[in-house]
Amino acid sequence: MTSSDATSGGTGGGGTAGGAPRRRTVLGGAAGAAAGLALAGCGAGPDGGAPKERKKGQRISLTFWSWVPGIDKPVDLWNRRNPEVQVRVEKVSAVNGQQYAKMHAAIKAGNPPDLGQIEFPVIPGFLLDNGLRDLAPLGAARHRDKFVGWQWQQSVFGKGVYAIPQASGPMGLFVRKDLFDRWEVQVPGTWDEYEAAAKAIRRHGAWIDTFAPTNGNRFAGLAWQAGAAWYATRGDTWIVHLDDGPTRKVADYWESLVRQRLVKTIPDRQNAWYKDIQTGAIPAWVGASWGDALLAGNAPGTKGKWRAAALPQWRPGGRAYANWGGSTTAVFAQAAYPRDALDFAVWLNTDPQSLALLIAGGYGFPAARTGYAPAALDADKDFFGGQAYSRVFADAGAHVDTRWRWGPGVDTLYQRLGDAFTEALADGSSFRSVLRKVQGQTVADLKGKGLKVESGG
Amino acid sequence: MSRDTPVRPPTPAAAPPEPGARRAAAGRRRRASRTEARNARAAAGFLLPFLALFGLCFLAPIGYALRTSLQRTERTGPLGLGGQEHEVFAGLANYAQALADDRFLAGFGRVLLFGAVQIPLMTLLATGLALLLESAAARGITFFRSAFFLPYGVPGVIASILWGFLYVPGISPLVKIAQSVGWNVDFLSRGSVLWSLANIVTWQFTGYTMLVLIAQLKAVPGELYEAARIDGANAWQVARHIKLPMIRPALVLTCVFSIIGTLQLFAEPMVLRPLSSAIDSGYTPNLHAYSEAFVGNNQQLAAAEAVLLALVACAASFGFLRLVGGHGKERG
Repeated sequence: MTSSDATSGGTGGGGTAGGAPRRRTVLGGAAGAAAGLALAGCGAGPDGGAPKERKKGQRISLTFWSWVPGIDKPVDLWNRRNPEVQVRVEKVSAVNGQQYAKMHAAIKAGNPPDLGQIEFPVIPGFLLDNGLRDLAPLGAARHRDKFVGWQWQQSVFGKGVYAIPQASGPMGLFVRKDLFDRWEVQVPGTWDEYEAAAKAIRRHGAWIDTFAPTNGNRFAGLAWQAGAAWYATRGDTWIVHLDDGPTRKVADYWESLVRQRLVKTIPDRQNAWYKDIQTGAIPAWVGASWGDALLAGNAPGTKGKWRAAALPQWRPGGRAYANWGGSTTAVFAQAAYPRDALDFAVWLNTDPQSLALLIAGGYGFPAARTGYAPAALDADKDFFGGQAYSRVFADAGAHVDTRWRWGPGVDTLYQRLGDAFTEALADGSSFRSVLRKVQGQTVADLKGKGLKVESGG
Repeated sequence: MSRDTPVRPPTPAAAPPEPGARRAAAGRRRRASRTEARNARAAAGFLLPFLALFGLCFLAPIGYALRTSLQRTERTGPLGLGGQEHEVFAGLANYAQALADDRFLAGFGRVLLFGAVQIPLMTLLATGLALLLESAAARGITFFRSAFFLPYGVPGVIASILWGFLYVPGISPLVKIAQSVGWNVDFLSRGSVLWSLANIVTWQFTGYTMLVLIAQLKAVPGELYEAARIDGANAWQVARHIKLPMIRPALVLTCVFSIIGTLQLFAEPMVLRPLSSAIDSGYTPNLHAYSEAFVGNNQQLAAAEAVLLALVACAASFGFLRLVGGHGKERG
């Protein structure tokens, strides 16, 4: 169960799509700009030629690489209903991004699977490899309205549609209510209160959380919440702006917690962390919607003692949220029968029965607008003492800043961040120097990949 | 298994003596050349399967890596997404980039430190065990030999996972025991994780090294021991003046293996990485190359790093051989 990093959750039932037209407009503009450029590229690109059509009655088999817990159940259902298009799930490891290493290697070697589980942040990286099939010529656009708007946009580049969204992971705060009550610690509503709570908890020998140096995903989410925008485009140039004001604020904040020894620095979602979660040595976790299954599965002894709360805010009364994870089902460029693969991907992520099975497995917050009962998302209600906790994440999902865009090379960026934070913890250099360093490295990395790139001022 | 010297295999391809000795010189030459040709064909037939596999699995990948290391990718198309990419000749740019990377160089420093401590330690341990097991007073030899060798049968990844459980605080019984006696140990911290890795490697390879040494000890002719006994040498003197000098070639061999293995350290840090905040993606040169290839998707840079690593391994191995070879001559 270490892999739920990637299993992400979705914006709850239609939150963003209906609720924030202004944001969508902004997003549309950004996507449009990025898209226009990519479009020209696509025309010239070797996009795999005309898709093969399956003859009527012909039996084919598709391979699907995923790590989502319980994904085999909806796939079994599909296989029972579609004897001609059999889908075979192959589980891949999601520890430290190993699944993507494997996918990139398979693309390089020319033998990738037909379908793959791919998170939002790494989609551009796969486009760089020409690894994904553009689904637009296959008529993917007609499925657009089935999904939450901004999540659909995560895989749209130019006129191309490169994946079908599955789920997202609005962030929130998990707390051990019993311990907070016993120690008379308030559940923090702001980051200032969070620091105060950290101090109070420390007095009882526990730690409020860990700052895992290698967890780039969460750090990105926290920067996203603070209003950062790491990637932007201008013309056909990528602008990298990792070392910006909001990100510095987040880095300063966590550096201060680390230096005051208010948080641990062990890796999260690994054995030692699970042990701390089980024993209450760490009684809280800044996590995401998919964390419900993670906690319930790994700390069954703490059943009934956890609650979910909104992510602490920078401004009292603020409603800024972000996303950790967010996942799609993509079709690889070399898939022999992309049309059938697309049909499967859409079915998997919209069919009510499939959604019910995915939700039961704890895959996150559905990207589909309809086809599930919001209450079904409270799958681990008993674990959270009867709290309808999915509402917390639905609200967060509705207020995720949808202007955030991902760029190419995010897995490398995470690795650079992880290495630099590891070094900073070792030699005591400042977290700001980490941002400066990784900013420079990322610009160089993208240049090295043959892209036009500028450092954001 | 006795102490007898191993039987020498018969020399292969020894041509049978020709019966007709009184032939014209020209005819003899012709025949001889025909025999030679036949022999050459036979030799080629025997060598071909090996050479084919050697070329396919060894030379070809090296050639491919060399070629890749001299290239870089160029992309066209707006934003570089979905456009075309092609490989162009880059000269030594990848090598320059690798050598300019502090973390890559730091990885070399780390494995060299590792080797400087772990290899002597393990060799000492293995030699001690081998001598003990081959001493006259040893009991239960078969059992102990198998027991010491057993860890070598555990694949490196599995061994690292097993040790990982023994290192993680909160789960490890070792940590618990240490804490119960007031020793607050952290096997995965920055200062200690390298030695935790060294422990895994030592656990795995001491038995193997020991077995190589034992094989050599078994090849020592019995007369030498007999002569030593007659001269009144005690067990310690026999070990010091007969056994150790006689297993010197095996010691040199295992050291070279260890040097190469140490430089290539990969599986252990790779497996422990998720457990420790102290292991970064370039902890060892091999891990660095892996990260560049599969996370950074920069196979060209990774190929250059792999070639550099091979060169260093070559230099270190031959340097070591030269070093010990020189001493040998002086002494001899």
